[in-house]
Amino acid sequence: MVSASVAARISPEGIERTRWIRLVPLVAESVEMEVVIKLIEDSVRGLSGVVLAEKGDLYNLARWRVESILGREFKYPESRGERRAMELAHHASFAGRKLVLRLMEEGLGSGVLKRAGGA
Amino acid sequence: MKRDKTAVLLFREDPRDEHHPEKMAELLGLAEAAGYRVLAEISQRRGRDRRFQLGRGKIVEAASLSPEKLIFNEPLSPGQIFNIGKEFEVAAMDRFNLILEIFASRASSREAKLQVELARLSYEAPFVRTIESLNKLSERPGYRGSGSYDVSMYRDIRGRMTKIRAELKAVEETGERRRERRRKLGFDLVALAGYTNAGKSTLFNRLALETVAAKDQPFTTLSPTTRAVAAKERRFLLTDTVGFIDDLPLFLIKAFRSTLAEIVEADLVLLVVDLSDPPEILRERLASCHEALWDCGCYSPIVSVLNKMDRICSDEAEERAEMIRDLTPNPVFISAREGRGLEGLLDLIAEKLPPMEEFLVHLPSSEEGMGQLSRLYDVALPMEVKYGEEIEVLLRGRREIVARALKGREYPDLSPSQPPAGG
Repeated sequence: MVSASVAARISPEGIERTRWIRLVPLVAESVEMEVVIKLIEDSVRGLSGVVLAEKGDLYNLARWRVESILGREFKYPESRGERRAMELAHHASFAGRKLVLRLMEEGLGSGVLKRAGGA
Repeated sequence: MKRDKTAVLLFREDPRDEHHPEKMAELLGLAEAAGYRVLAEISQRRGRDRRFQLGRGKIVEAASLSPEKLIFNEPLSPGQIFNIGKEFEVAAMDRFNLILEIFASRASSREAKLQVELARLSYEAPFVRTIESLNKLSERPGYRGSGSYDVSMYRDIRGRMTKIRAELKAVEETGERRRERRRKLGFDLVALAGYTNAGKSTLFNRLALETVAAKDQPFTTLSPTTRAVAAKERRFLLTDTVGFIDDLPLFLIKAFRSTLAEIVEADLVLLVVDLSDPPEILRERLASCHEALWDCGCYSPIVSVLNKMDRICSDEAEERAEMIRDLTPNPVFISAREGRGLEGLLDLIAEKLPPMEEFLVHLPSSEEGMGQLSRLYDVALPMEVKYGEEIEVLLRGRREIVARALKGREYPDLSPSQPPAGG
């Protein structure tokens, strides 16, 4: 799987400025909560601001629970701008996944991929 | 004498969620808007029961009051409706069905009736299919040989849905042509959107000096109404639309696509917010509106109209506006009921509408030229007219509209009076 984090300044209506996009590829046996949280932590490391993620990605956990697990400010998308940023991250992660798969087909993927749990 | 419709409201709270008394209040408002007399409100904090949604004891308690309907806040599966009807001999419905019932009772235009019918059929089709299959279980030994009765109802529903969709597509195309015609006439399109009962129709009546039905109840407006309004030098068409509600099901959005197209195609959306709602509800409702706008593909700029200032003091209003700042672009405080803050709103609308360009147009001093000048007066804003060998007109308007007004000329002399800088 590939996680994409988009660092952006958002207005209620849309994205005002995209600072950068980071892609984190990961191989895992199962998509458990710890794996997802680890992936999010890796993706947003070094970034300030509020972390946004889809409800489904975090198994519909209440916001306060995610905040206490992540240890930083977190919210689910509400405004049109936040949804637009999520859409951008989805496109980026999908494109990243396709790229990783192509690299793997060509036998070049092993260097980019990290296994969950550091194995 | 007309007999009252009676209902008991049932509400299940997830043990992991916070307590939300306002959701029960909203369900009560919807039930009353649908004409039900509510006998009791029963809530239970527990996980979802597979058979009845709530625990058996609570359903028995509700059924003992002999209501006509049990209204559940949570969506019921076809199986749950079947089980409740069979075990407790009382009809059950969920919030979506209640909304559909309100829509059905208020739909007056042909379009609204078709939309409501499509929404109802989209909702009922899977129910019919499940109930048919459940009924079939007892007939299994011979059902294959007993004719087509057991599948015909589902098939009929699908057929009717296809027919309604085709009719609504025609309505949608007519609406699109109408909006295109209005744009050609030089009007900008502005749509009112917002949570149900936020005061959209009251604001519409204030701005358009109209008298459309505006009541303190959810879903008073179902069909869009459009009227011309002037703001500063801009003329625009203002459309009142159906309100949004929390957890609006996708099939309802799809069914009301032709109505919501008025919002999607607008040059500017006025997002009306009831500022007198308690802060946490206010935020939740605004998020629902943003979700609905996103779902129907609306990317137009938004002006947030913070309404019902007459119900709260200005300090409190400022405080609430600050709390929802990330959900309210271009906020403006108004009271549609008292007519307060409307000038500021009109100024902001004029500012946020697509900008008009300035043109210097030369027309022949002839009958044809005078005709074109007359058309320009209808669709644009001539600021200065000089009559000489030629008629020189300095005007402001939208490029495509001015070009269209001068279509009769072989080589329309259309050049911006202030060409953009740079190459």
